[in-house]
Amino acid sequence: MLDPQTERQTIQRARRGDREAITLLIRSYQRPLEAFLFRLCGQSDLAEDLSQEAFVRVIRSLDRFDERFRFSTWLFTIGKRLLVNHQQKMKPTPDSEMVEYRAGDARTPATETEEVERTQRVSQLVGVALDSLVSPQREIVLLFHQQGWSVQQIATELSMPEGTIKSHLFRARRRMLEAIERSGVRNAEEVLR
Amino acid sequence: MSWRDDAWSDTQTGRSGFSLRAERLLVRVLLVLRGDVREGAKSATEQRQDRRRAEELADIILTDFPRRAIPFGIAAVAIIVLLCTMPLMRDLFSGSTARSAGVAPVANVVESSLRARSAEMSDGLEALRAVVAPFAADAAPANEPREAVAPCCDAAAPFKRS
Repeated sequence: MLDPQTERQTIQRARRGDREAITLLIRSYQRPLEAFLFRLCGQSDLAEDLSQEAFVRVIRSLDRFDERFRFSTWLFTIGKRLLVNHQQKMKPTPDSEMVEYRAGDARTPATETEEVERTQRVSQLVGVALDSLVSPQREIVLLFHQQGWSVQQIATELSMPEGTIKSHLFRARRRMLEAIERSGVRNAEEVLR
Repeated sequence: MSWRDDAWSDTQTGRSGFSLRAERLLVRVLLVLRGDVREGAKSATEQRQDRRRAEELADIILTDFPRRAIPFGIAAVAIIVLLCTMPLMRDLFSGSTARSAGVAPVANVVESSLRARSAEMSDGLEALRAVVAPFAADAAPANEPREAVAPCCDAAAPFKRS
């Protein structure tokens, strides 16, 4: 993530068609956006496609960007809208294989079977926890815990009072705990190691 | 202590009713989520891959930049061409109607001028004939009896002595 000052300067350069600036913007936000979309839809390919589409739209429309706001907020809003539009067209089917691949730590060497299994269990656990959440809660949890946005930033983005966001976060954690308890994850110690 | 920590107070004291194991697992889940976007969580290969993808996407976006200008360029050229050809077009359209309506009066003027000239010339000829006619009348044929030539002192021709 870029700091606000660097972000502003990079956007100004990108507006003039500076390739390096455009690449820097994409590199800075590509993974966070993909991760956010992936955790929302559960499809790695779709998350990647939508993320690319969001970047194309955002960078082409940089002239209209209001510098009072954060670039990431704008980008994530467009990414989310693209996902909603896509979901309205077709019902998503979670790609379990990619969930495991993505959620699993990429540093994991494929040859170490135990490590792979542990990663798979963690992935399952993340899936169980996130699946228990309803639409606004999942988004709020991801923006807060995954993207590290502040409550105020999320409240502005979702046009909700800060108290509502806090309440959603609290309830979301309870739901996730309930889901984890119900799932009875085997070999919890391995997951927690 | 931040709000983030506050929110956890219930579960930390065990008042939430969930097992410690579930709470620890949830923390693990949230850490995994955070790791999704953590730069350090990526391997060198992944970082290279991300860089390459970012550059490819930047290229795609940039190749479309000139295309955005094409419609504006075409519109600008069209306007310039229109402005340049406007006088010609105006002449062309007004000329086609003026040619049929405007050439005829010119021809009429020329014709009437020629006619006036020829009329003047014929008038002049008439005048000359009128002047010359008496002399022509004098030039009678050779077989007709000629008048006696008056002496020089009487020469008051062409008028006859009264």
